[in-house]
Amino acid sequence: MLQALISGILVGSVYGLFSMGFSLAFGVMRIVNFAHGELVMIGMFVGLVVANNLGVDPLLAMPLAVVIVAAVSAFLYLFVFQRFVGRATLQQLLAAIAVALILQTAAALIFGPSAHAVRSNWGSQYLLVGPIFLSYAQLAAFGISLACVAAVEIVLRGTSWGKSIRAIADDPEAAQLVGLNAHFINVSAFAGAGALAGIAGSVLVSYYPVSPHVGFALMPIALIATVLGGLGSVGGAFIGGLICGVVQQVTSVLWTSALQDVPLYALLILLLAFRPYGLFGRKSAH
Amino acid sequence: MARVPRGNNWLREHATGTWLILLVLFVASVPLLPFGNNYVIAIVVRALLFIALGQAWNVIAGIGGQMSLGHGVFFGIGAYATGLLFNDLGLTPWIGAWAAAVLAAFVALIIGIITFRLRGIYFALATVVISLAFEKLSRYYSAFTGGDTGLAIHFRGTAPAVMQWREPQAFLWITLVVVVVYFLITRWLLKGDFGLSLQAVRDDEEAAASAGVNVYRTKILAFLLSAVMTSLAGTLYLQFYSSIDPGSAFGLSQAIQIQLPALIGGLATAGGPVIGGVIMIVLSEVTNIVSGKMDWPGVDVLAYGLVLLFIVFKAPQGVIGLITSRRPPRKAPDSMATKGVQ
Repeated sequence: MLQALISGILVGSVYGLFSMGFSLAFGVMRIVNFAHGELVMIGMFVGLVVANNLGVDPLLAMPLAVVIVAAVSAFLYLFVFQRFVGRATLQQLLAAIAVALILQTAAALIFGPSAHAVRSNWGSQYLLVGPIFLSYAQLAAFGISLACVAAVEIVLRGTSWGKSIRAIADDPEAAQLVGLNAHFINVSAFAGAGALAGIAGSVLVSYYPVSPHVGFALMPIALIATVLGGLGSVGGAFIGGLICGVVQQVTSVLWTSALQDVPLYALLILLLAFRPYGLFGRKSAH
Repeated sequence: MARVPRGNNWLREHATGTWLILLVLFVASVPLLPFGNNYVIAIVVRALLFIALGQAWNVIAGIGGQMSLGHGVFFGIGAYATGLLFNDLGLTPWIGAWAAAVLAAFVALIIGIITFRLRGIYFALATVVISLAFEKLSRYYSAFTGGDTGLAIHFRGTAPAVMQWREPQAFLWITLVVVVVYFLITRWLLKGDFGLSLQAVRDDEEAAASAGVNVYRTKILAFLLSAVMTSLAGTLYLQFYSSIDPGSAFGLSQAIQIQLPALIGGLATAGGPVIGGVIMIVLSEVTNIVSGKMDWPGVDVLAYGLVLLFIVFKAPQGVIGLITSRRPPRKAPDSMATKGVQ
């Protein structure tokens, strides 16, 4: 059980990492990016291609993954989501689903429908601390995720760009009135969300096989982590991701790993129905 | 959701029913026509299945304004429950279909009680994860459901007593009857008292409530009706294809295929799912040929994605909306937006 808790936190840190990007779009712009899992998938495929063609560790592909996924994300904002900013409408959800389907099929046409694992890395090596197995890849993922959370929190709280984002999340009209350039902020926030997804993808691919359909496995987790953490609370989404990881691992131990997501789905529905502002969110964020 | 202004709908206004009856007679006589070989008949059956599923979803999503993305649950229940009752207990699908429909209604009741606390996009997201949960569970309990490989019904050749035929003609007539009945149900909902309450709830819950409509009960009843209709179509799907698997029952791409006919044709109209279903079958056949020739599996999903994007951006009222908006480029009322968070 201790093993489950610790692996849960390690796995969950990566969930938290890409959930922060989802939360950024949801909290600031009220965009439910159903294609966020596909952004992580693109990051994973970048890591896969680099690792398998250059024979280096997929983590070294991270800068490339960040640039590509951030660009894709900003592109999606400009051409699809821009018109929906501020209103989480059903049309927006349908558009995001369409984007997810298109990206999935594109990936399947390029890479084939099956799952790929990265060749020859240290992802399968373990560190034994007492009775606890710790995978090197997951430890690295944990370290990178923590660094990213710290960076995101510092940027959101310390820089003028981050403060603008939070101002727009709180009150878009007032933020416009005091002269904030909402368009630039929104594009860059989407690029930032993509960058986080790209980091998560290149980290994730070192121990998790990538397939065109991986996005639909990851997106619900981002959604659940975001709702757990509270809409508009980017840091809360990270904690939500940790909770998701722990719930999954504990479910694997007590029940079966095949159904590790089912309690998460139940949790999401109960949260939406009874506590829609999340565990850490403020009521006004809803 | 999509409101087609009354009196602006040529299908409803000018269709004296005569040509609809002619259309039905024509489809029914396809097997008798010179080109009516089994291949053509099978395509017509698939189109009718698309239409029936679209009509079922249109009840809650179009007329009721509750955008369920989890209708794969009811479709899967219709297929799986009928198949299991037949394979394990020998119960004929003629009865099994109704047993499955009752089960679907019961599940819809539970889902509705929980999720109708939510509105708009949150309801949609909750229904997504419910269908994901069903997919995971049906894959895991494989001794019961056949797991990933799915469930194949015991085939007895041509046996009308258990709704099985080698040739597709009978399926054409059965699905055609279902589509006609669903069309009449939709017409009734668009004009009848219950349907008017439902549309009032869709357009403004507070106003409907203050006018004396029981909002919660109306939504749940419409959800049950939609679930039963979807489940019955699921049974027909199983009987026609002889098998079902978790992905094609509960998967998200199935849920999207259920929505597309109504979205393409026009939400909250009786003709919309019919037109949309015809477009879907053309799309599906063309992409099948392309994916066969070019070895591009999944190109149909790509086409669905592009069509969905086009509908959302360019034709939120569907094809019927494009036809009926005679006044040139008038911006379509963004009625879906009113269901948003704010």
